Amino acid sequence: MTPTSDFRAQVRQWCRENVPVDWRRTQTGVGEREFVDFQRRWFATLHSAGFAVPHWPREWGGGMSVADQAVLYQELAAHDAPRLVLAFVGIHHAAATLLAAGTDEQRRRHLPAILDGEIWVQGFSEPEAGSDLASLRTTARRVGDDYVVNGQKLWASGASYAQWCLLLARTDPDAPKRKGISYFLLDMATPGVQVRPIRNAVGDQHFCEIFLDDVVIPAANLIGAENAGWQVAQATLGAERGMTMLELAERLGCAGFRWLVQAAPTDDPVVADRLAQLETEITGLRAMCRRLVRDVEAGTAGPADASIVKLFYSELLQRLTDFGTEIGGLAAHTALAKPLSSGWESGSWVLDFIGSWEWTIPGGSSEIQRTIIGERGLGLPREPSAP
Amino acid sequence: MTTTDFADLHDDLRAVAGDMLARGRLVDWPAMIGAGWVGLEVADALGGAGATFAEVAVVCEELGRAAAATHYLGSAVLAVGLLNTLQDSVVGNELLSGVTAGPTRAAAVLGDRGCFTLSADRRLTGRAEFVPDADGADRLLVLATDHTGTEVAVVADDLTVTPQPVLDETRAVAAVAADGIEVAEPLRFADLRGAQTVRDRAALAVACDSLGLAEAMLAATVSYAQTRQQFGRAIGSFQAVKHACADMQVKVSVARALVREAVAAVVAVVAGGPEDADAAVAMAKSYTCGAAVDVVGKAMQLHGGIGYTWESGIHVYLKRAVFNRSLFGSPAAHRQHLAQRY
Repeated sequence: MTPTSDFRAQVRQWCRENVPVDWRRTQTGVGEREFVDFQRRWFATLHSAGFAVPHWPREWGGGMSVADQAVLYQELAAHDAPRLVLAFVGIHHAAATLLAAGTDEQRRRHLPAILDGEIWVQGFSEPEAGSDLASLRTTARRVGDDYVVNGQKLWASGASYAQWCLLLARTDPDAPKRKGISYFLLDMATPGVQVRPIRNAVGDQHFCEIFLDDVVIPAANLIGAENAGWQVAQATLGAERGMTMLELAERLGCAGFRWLVQAAPTDDPVVADRLAQLETEITGLRAMCRRLVRDVEAGTAGPADASIVKLFYSELLQRLTDFGTEIGGLAAHTALAKPLSSGWESGSWVLDFIGSWEWTIPGGSSEIQRTIIGERGLGLPREPSAP
Repeated sequence: MTTTDFADLHDDLRAVAGDMLARGRLVDWPAMIGAGWVGLEVADALGGAGATFAEVAVVCEELGRAAAATHYLGSAVLAVGLLNTLQDSVVGNELLSGVTAGPTRAAAVLGDRGCFTLSADRRLTGRAEFVPDADGADRLLVLATDHTGTEVAVVADDLTVTPQPVLDETRAVAAVAADGIEVAEPLRFADLRGAQTVRDRAALAVACDSLGLAEAMLAATVSYAQTRQQFGRAIGSFQAVKHACADMQVKVSVARALVREAVAAVVAVVAGGPEDADAAVAMAKSYTCGAAVDVVGKAMQLHGGIGYTWESGIHVYLKRAVFNRSLFGSPAAHRQHLAQRY
């Protein structure tokens, strides 16, 4: 056996022993507290096996080869394991930012804490700065050894549970938009920070507004140089794209597609044709993700490759959940709750379909992704005032 | 009435409906009766307005535009429509004048053909799911197949009605079941196409609803694209947004054309014309209810993060559009029906 197939067998065995039995049913319709507890327990379980942060450097508790990471996520998906939701920003965005631009002290303070369950939130978007993120208006004014921050953040997912926030704020109001932004680590317990959950289209409240009123951040919590926040954000925003997209693609291909086939009247030739089309698209997505992961590691990924994957995944997810809704008929509308900690294709098709806009809108909307593919990928002339 | 009179009437109806529905999504039944909408198609002699399905279609569109929560579909469009297709009878006329004057509310239980059967000794057995407005109705009218295989209507009071909560909170649907209950003498259709006409009306009323809600979402999106600024310009000035709005407009235009054709066909059938409305209704229902989901989805997309909030209310339209798409025949089912003609 090759080392990788050895590892696959090991992960399979681990999944059989550790994926909580019946978690989909028990996590349907639960309250916030049960969800948070369940997420913490699952994170700890994964961590004890070395599966929580395989993508981190060895010295910080990771060090798994990219090939093995791919195997890990394939097997977690195949065994229908719960997803890490609460820890996501911490283990991906926060860690990538700390590793790329943090000081040793910042890394020592936060990376072990993340492994102990420290939860992070991203404070980037604002009411007037969505697709046009660089126009953000939250200000950070230097006063002695501190910065004083004022403003408002929007779509901060999980802010109600977060202890720390990755915050972008304007430190030079006179500089060109992207050159006056700095990147901070904000302790959410600081006086002046107020979080208000926003109910979303599927009825849950993980998105939040964060209000910042004379919030004092020690200068030691600046990450990267002052006014270099935009570059830090750009460098780390997509850092996790490859592997997390691979995981999502695997989940779509395993449980997601399986349920669709189970629910579908496959003896109807029109339905069978649609299913075959979706399976083909999912297969293309999975292959594209495996390729992207290799290319990112080799440093050969194209400038728009991550956008191609994100755009295709999110619109495929929308088509698939739409089709699930269609063949589910009226009965599909009686599924009023979906299992928490599940993927974006939980089998509660109507909620999954509505939830799919959470993929086509945030993280650079489909419109923005197409512009990126056209301009950065294909080298077409830029749209006037486009990003 | 001339065509112009009808156009004026429709405009008036639309304006009144718009005003009334602007006050809130939840419209109580007495208000619907008071506005004269329940009795629109009821004969003058029975206290109604003596209008046609074309006027009912206007109300349906406006209810969709407002995503209104009312009993109009089950208790006016279907119940009155069913009663109007039956042979003249004392029971039927009493019911028609009763629901027109209020406060009696009836609801029609259509189901698929054969889901209720009536035995020779008048015992009703069967079950239908997702019946609009059945819960809380004073009288239920059940479409059943009698022992000779003929479809008839039965007024039944001892049915088991179980509400079925669905994601679309603007609709009230229920499962209706009968387990050999004894019922009164069935009411018979005035002509052979009666039951099909009632089913056509149901599908087309839902298509009108989807047309109205799609138009509402197009208007909201255009307005948002004109005011929301990003990159220093209104987002509607970007071709990505502008072209998406144009595609929504094209879909709405095609849907309106198909709905208009189908409404005319149903009106002609009710008036005793020789034509059959089935194909026109199948096209209007399958296209409009599919297109409405696309249009509302695009509205959510173009509103960005705001569109995904509960507060924006776009989710209400999306849930209703998706529910409408499956209600009274999926697009695939209607297209299969069309394809049988080839």
